Amino acid sequence: MSDSASGSVDKSVQVKLVLLGEAAVGKSSVVLRFVSNEFQANKEPTIGAAFLTQKCRLEDRVLRYEIWDTAGQERFHSLAPMYYRNAQAAVVVYDVTKASSLEKAKSWVKELQRQANPNIVIALAGNKVDLVQPSASSPGAASSSESEDEADDATATPGETPGSPGEPENLRQVPREEAQAYATEAGLLFFETSAKTGEGIVDIFTEIAKKIPIEHILAATRGTTRPGAAGARSNGAQESGVNLEENAVKSKDACNC
Amino acid sequence: MSTISTALRNFKEPTKEQLTQIFFSLPSVGSLDGTEKTSDQHVEKMDINAVLSLGVQGVEDSYAGKLHIISPYLTFTSLDRKSVRFTIPLSTIRRVERLNARAGIYALSLSTWHGMKIIVQLTSLRPTADLFCSLLRDALKIELQRGQMKQVKGFVKTCYSEALVSTTSTVADNEREDGSLISEEKENAGPRESTYHGGLGLRFKFPGDPKKLREASKIKLWATYLRTHGRNLTLIRYPQCTRLVQVGLPNRLRGEMWEALSGSMFLRFSNPGVYEDLLKQNEGRTSTSTEDIEKDLHRSLPEYAGYQSQEGISALRRVLQAYSFKNPELGYCQAMNILAAAVLIYMSEEQAFWLLEVLCDRLLPGYYAPSMHGTLLDQRVFESLVQRCLPIIHDHFQDVDVQLSVASLPWFLSLYINSMPMIFAFRIVDCFFCMGPKVLFQVGLAILKINGEKLLQIQDDGGFLNLMRDYFASLGDSAHPNSSDPRARAITRFQELLLVSFREFSVITDDMILSERRRFRSEIIHSIESFSKRSAIRNLKTLGRFNKEQAGLIYDALYKAMCIVPPPAPVNPPPMLLTPNDGTEEKPETRIQLKTFQYFLSEIATWARNEKIVMNGFQQRVDRELAEHEFIDRLFFFWDTSCSGALSFQDLVSGLDGVMFNDLMENIEWFFNMHDKNKDGFLTKDEVLTLSESFLFIFRYEVGDAYLGAVSRFMTNAFEYGDALLPQSESEEPVNEGDEPSSPSRTIESNQPYLNLATFRMVVLADEVLESFFETDLSSSFRLEPVPDVELPVSNSGLLGDLWSTIATDTNKKMFNMFTDEIGKTIGKHQVMHKPSIGRYTKLEEPKARESLLTPSMRKSPSKVSLTASTSRSTLTTSSSSTLTVDVKAEPAKAFPNIPDSAAGFSPMVQAVNARLMERTAFAIDDAKDDEDESDGELDDNENDDQVMDEVDAFLEAHDSGLTDADKEVANDLLRAEPLK
Repeated sequence: MSDSASGSVDKSVQVKLVLLGEAAVGKSSVVLRFVSNEFQANKEPTIGAAFLTQKCRLEDRVLRYEIWDTAGQERFHSLAPMYYRNAQAAVVVYDVTKASSLEKAKSWVKELQRQANPNIVIALAGNKVDLVQPSASSPGAASSSESEDEADDATATPGETPGSPGEPENLRQVPREEAQAYATEAGLLFFETSAKTGEGIVDIFTEIAKKIPIEHILAATRGTTRPGAAGARSNGAQESGVNLEENAVKSKDACNC
Repeated sequence: MSTISTALRNFKEPTKEQLTQIFFSLPSVGSLDGTEKTSDQHVEKMDINAVLSLGVQGVEDSYAGKLHIISPYLTFTSLDRKSVRFTIPLSTIRRVERLNARAGIYALSLSTWHGMKIIVQLTSLRPTADLFCSLLRDALKIELQRGQMKQVKGFVKTCYSEALVSTTSTVADNEREDGSLISEEKENAGPRESTYHGGLGLRFKFPGDPKKLREASKIKLWATYLRTHGRNLTLIRYPQCTRLVQVGLPNRLRGEMWEALSGSMFLRFSNPGVYEDLLKQNEGRTSTSTEDIEKDLHRSLPEYAGYQSQEGISALRRVLQAYSFKNPELGYCQAMNILAAAVLIYMSEEQAFWLLEVLCDRLLPGYYAPSMHGTLLDQRVFESLVQRCLPIIHDHFQDVDVQLSVASLPWFLSLYINSMPMIFAFRIVDCFFCMGPKVLFQVGLAILKINGEKLLQIQDDGGFLNLMRDYFASLGDSAHPNSSDPRARAITRFQELLLVSFREFSVITDDMILSERRRFRSEIIHSIESFSKRSAIRNLKTLGRFNKEQAGLIYDALYKAMCIVPPPAPVNPPPMLLTPNDGTEEKPETRIQLKTFQYFLSEIATWARNEKIVMNGFQQRVDRELAEHEFIDRLFFFWDTSCSGALSFQDLVSGLDGVMFNDLMENIEWFFNMHDKNKDGFLTKDEVLTLSESFLFIFRYEVGDAYLGAVSRFMTNAFEYGDALLPQSESEEPVNEGDEPSSPSRTIESNQPYLNLATFRMVVLADEVLESFFETDLSSSFRLEPVPDVELPVSNSGLLGDLWSTIATDTNKKMFNMFTDEIGKTIGKHQVMHKPSIGRYTKLEEPKARESLLTPSMRKSPSKVSLTASTSRSTLTTSSSSTLTVDVKAEPAKAFPNIPDSAAGFSPMVQAVNARLMERTAFAIDDAKDDEDESDGELDDNENDDQVMDEVDAFLEAHDSGLTDADKEVANDLLRAEPLK
């Protein structure tokens, strides 16, 4: 954990990622699911921001996500720039059962697009889908998640839900199509996730990893503070972390850390 | 979506008096309900040089210092302001005796409720000492009358120290057992019905191993100290007290000592029952705060056993809710849950509640406010202290772009409780309550210093955080594990931290922090404000046709208006029984009321303000005042599309968008719609009159009579066309010209649909003046200018960022203005002119007309009536009456006879207009014949732009010289005239 503190050679590509979103949409749970594949009542209260790291393997590269999980309460908003500055990626989370949380998410996206790093990769995540699904388990999306997602639309449409009472759908306040349309329009990655079941969580980070201009980051770091990072191309098989490709196939028991 | 707050503007640097109060941990006025009574009676305050010693057999030395009466408290501090101090409620003083000492020594012996004798030798001059004594006597009397004296007995029973002291050392032996209320209730002071307050720790154990913490010996030391130096309300802090605090308070005593050291005990003492009442009154009430609190209850020190039980959770809920009810503006901020949870381990709910009050109000001001400005400010101060004390680390952080706050913000916000293992954090909290907020800075600096070498290796925020995390986890380890000296090995890293904090950073004083805060405050406020401005603009649903800069200007105007007339508190004002929520939602949007809107509009629309050009021989300035008129109210409701009686930033932007980009036809329609109250596409006769009135309002300061004539023509035509186009036969209607009593008979139709848009348009277009008004002038009378208008000294408020400072100078400026005005008046150089809102026809058709006679309120027409009121008024009249035109004489003369036909009967207003026109025409003729000024020259002139300009110039000059004579005369006349009456 303290490898970066000592400034030693870090073989991974470091990606700073920030989680934003209204209070209680499950930002911390999303991180916890990703980092330690757990779901639990949050143990650490988020004051300012919690900081976690997770290493991932994607193809031949190792990514080291530095995740800043920010406090959701409105009054902490003005502190957010401190955390999203220099971030290469952001996950903006909303709660599919709460319409207002999407509005807040949109305003975060706007803010990021104006104020943050211009190349920032933003993913929109509608969390808590387990609450609006008939059954908790669903196969993880493959790497071509976009097309899969569209196929899922059927289940999100009320009435067409096969063999289940419409009741859980009533909780849904944000139709998938609406969020998807917005995400497309704003140029965001889009996922519906459940930190509880793990659905879609790893996909977020996979897709972000794919979209991030890693070469760019490498070039930047090579030139400046981190000469060791140049050699970060090793397969990193010995690293314990998330193998994003594997996870992309079976998302449930992805993490071996 | 956005809330806009001007709260930061209201910050005032504490006065010297307030600083003294803060120093002595006195409840600030207002937070204490009891102060209402005392404030009536004008609290006497006095300080006097004194030497303090205790009546105990010579344990401590005497200390020279200052003794203060700040009723209802008696306070003392030694000269160095840190060795010795006390704050004692007067009600605990039971006896005051003048000591029979050597000659020339004036000494008092104060006996407290606890039987302790405080000897103070008053070293000031005799009369001062006498005065002090009599004040003390009076103040004590008042306390006796208030019945506070009787409260003491009951109150001290709630304090653990009483039990501790009364049972001597037996309690210390019981320390490690956790059987809560040990039975030392026997003995002493009659029947005890209530026992001392305590926290969850009594039931769920205190964190840490009591043996390791050496609870027993700490308790013994404290028992001795408290016996000789007073306790709870009468605690006197000698150097030993601070030393004992620095080695860590014993768990059982901790809560009470926090209370006593922070001064929150005085709040609890003087507000008995308030906590319970607050909860009772607000039972079942929900708010954004209570919702937020619910989310965090299970996330507050969850590892502590007490918060895995319902008992702990509900205590935490009650305390946080009670505070959010007490201070709805602050409500609840994450991190308060951690403080409250921590504090509740050692304190009862009521104690915790008052401690929270002191924390949020005095010790950590602004930390938890909605803008969190206090937090941001102290982060900035901390950064500057790091720069000063640890420049190498600071530079390294700059080089690798690491932000100190990512780590240090939670330190400050949660008093290190969230960062360090609890047992260590609580010791820092002990010092914090004892020595004040500077402790947070000292510890922060020490952390950085101790980790200095490693910090110089870090490359990014993440590394910084990890390093800090590892360091905090190792605080219990030996600081010198490899030392050969076992005593050095025994020193933990935490002890090292405290040593470094208080030894090496003792230079950090409260004063230094205060002055650093002062230094950075405006920077922080500015950045918060520009942040909220940016997000407010970003959050607009639509910018309309404005660009972002223009929206920014609208925001600035709104902001300034809000500074002048703050909107009502946006925080959930009425207690809601059920949560309707979801629709209206959590973040209340800032909306302004009519009054604020008037100020806002006066920033933007030229006709929504009265601008007087004042010349007094020393200076020429423009005084800006708010104009009030129904038209502005109408606009307010016209823009209030959601019919909520208040306008949001979005409403204002959309509203302005609806008028500022209009062309001729759109403007006509806009103006029409604004007056069509029921939106049926027709104006009633009343509405036509109101509309005319709006015209007159907008044109009230126009120079010359072109506009007046236009309005009069408009009315004539409107009623003519209106009558002509009415579907039913109107034969009964007309005539009765100018006959007022006939109006009641017509009021039946006055609220019927009368004039449609097409007709209105036709009437408007028939008039060149009105046409040009709608073509360009209306839209351009809304001007988005940088709010601090540099040319206008009075409203010139510098950049918004310095509004506060300029408010201060504004008063100065006003005084200066008044002063120069007075001089100007006495030497006859004082003049006031109204600045026209549109100002188009000054230079075209109406060259000679320079001043309108119209006044803001047509009906009262004060300018004529109150001619004698002041010299400035008379100037106005003189100047305008002397420069009337030929043009108008002819025009209205033609128009007049028609007006009464249809209009005169309806409204006294119309009559007033007509009357005025008549009056003025006559007036003008009279004046024209006068030799005064160049008016007769003007009469003959046919318009020529160049000449006009010359004349304007000449006229302005004439104001400086020629007219002042007239002024003088008028003034002299008045002076002479009045005594005659």
